[in-house]
Amino acid sequence: MSGPASVAIPDSPLARMHPIAKIVGICSLGLSTIAWPDFTLGLFFILVLFLTAATAHELRPFAKIMLGFGIPVTIMLLFIQGCYSPKNTKTILDLGFAKMGLEGSLYAAKIVVTLMVFLGSFYLTTKTTYMGRLVAALSQVGVPSKVGYLILASLNVVPQMQRRITVIEQSQHSRGLETGGNIISRARAFIPLLGPVVLSSLTDSQERGMTLETRGFGIKGIRQTSYIEVQWRRADTLFTACITLLFLLVLAGSILSGMGIVPLGIQWGGRA
Amino acid sequence: MRKAIEVKDFSFRYRNALSSALKRVSFAVEKGSFFCIIGANGAGKSTLCNALVGLVPHYFVGKSKGLVQIEGVDVAKTTIAELSKTIGLVFQNPFNQLSYTAGTVAEELAFGLGNYGVPREIMHEKVLQVAHLMHLEELLDKNPLDLSGGQVQRVAFGSAFIMEPSILVLDECTAQLDPLGSEEIFNIVKDLNSNGVTVVMVDHDMERVAQYADQVMVMRMGKVVALGTPREVFTDPRTSDWGIDVPDYVKLGRGLQSAGFDLAELPIDESHAVQTIRGLL
Repeated sequence: MSGPASVAIPDSPLARMHPIAKIVGICSLGLSTIAWPDFTLGLFFILVLFLTAATAHELRPFAKIMLGFGIPVTIMLLFIQGCYSPKNTKTILDLGFAKMGLEGSLYAAKIVVTLMVFLGSFYLTTKTTYMGRLVAALSQVGVPSKVGYLILASLNVVPQMQRRITVIEQSQHSRGLETGGNIISRARAFIPLLGPVVLSSLTDSQERGMTLETRGFGIKGIRQTSYIEVQWRRADTLFTACITLLFLLVLAGSILSGMGIVPLGIQWGGRA
Repeated sequence: MRKAIEVKDFSFRYRNALSSALKRVSFAVEKGSFFCIIGANGAGKSTLCNALVGLVPHYFVGKSKGLVQIEGVDVAKTTIAELSKTIGLVFQNPFNQLSYTAGTVAEELAFGLGNYGVPREIMHEKVLQVAHLMHLEELLDKNPLDLSGGQVQRVAFGSAFIMEPSILVLDECTAQLDPLGSEEIFNIVKDLNSNGVTVVMVDHDMERVAQYADQVMVMRMGKVVALGTPREVFTDPRTSDWGIDVPDYVKLGRGLQSAGFDLAELPIDESHAVQTIRGLL
């Protein structure tokens, strides 16, 4: 099972995968992209991630986040690195006010795909993993329960603060504070909310610490157990082995390519 | 009988506070008894509860004097987590009882068991038992933060007694429940008590205190002003000086006395009141 019924995670091979296997996947894809001499492998991984998102029924939000992040970052980096990188020797586009160089553009493309591979794989992992499963899996491999708690508590901070803002906003609104209207009046109404929200969040975290201890959290000499069972299946072993092997092959290839023994990646010309 | 709780000359003043929240408080609670603490707001009841579970002095910073012992262990010399094996607290505000890390009610109930390293199979079993007892079966898969105040109170209560502490401290733990729900919780508490669990309860419902308590302690401005059986406390003429109300049955008895009826003793609960009135008819 990928999570409780109340948590909307559509069933898919990715959702069923062990969270640790997914973490290995994120690391392998990201590091392989970094190791590869140019952006092409990263581009291929992005394509694979889009296909994976489709099988996980997450294509639309995935595309939204990837394009929403990818397009502006690509434009910005291409402009900065492409036009102003000191490595530029070969001009590929004359914009009039500046000349776009090949080396800077390739470097920008490499950065963009690397960021997008990390972002995409991390996004898919969080969207297809019930956080309780992730923490249970982490504690299974010996990660201290306090680290697991930190992860869960951090993920819960934003929704809790949102709830708190709604309550305080309603309370202020009922006492005559105008919270609607145009963006300026909304911003003006929002500023007085910040104090109570921050203060009450601090009080909440203090009380939470108190509660946790009265429920045995942090007790010494006991290995904590989890209510959620996370099984490591044969498919997880296969996936982890393949993705690790892929990274090792990419790493070996990149080293050999760097030494000039095996030509790897496309020869784009220029100095890069 | 052995003592579950022993408090000797315990005083506590919160940091930066002008006066002490607890002033030379002394009392003992026998194992397996039902002990109630009553008093007006600000009397020091919640501070005392915090002192019993170790939050005072480990969590709340201040100046403390005296001794608090839980089953022979000095609270000041152990940790809150260690104490939680023996003593459980249900807070006044149930939202303070949540771990805020559980995605479902089932996980919330199991949180404490996980901290004690209870095997998963036993955890599942216990969660189902408690859910059944607390009428939470339908909610097991829901997020605790999406529940109503009363439902969270049930979860909070369940998550405290699922750990099977030998002492249970209830600090006005039914404030958000309807009368029927509250009654159900107290029936469970009474069952636990008859199975040997020592119960320390802070409550403003005097009828309930009179009905359940073996011993009642009255607090006023951080001091213990009365300690005895419900009959001794509620029939004491100084109750209004202590700032506490008495059960309606006591008021009925006093009314009958002032109307000229000769009562052998004042009724303090429903069964006594029925007996008294039958005797008069």
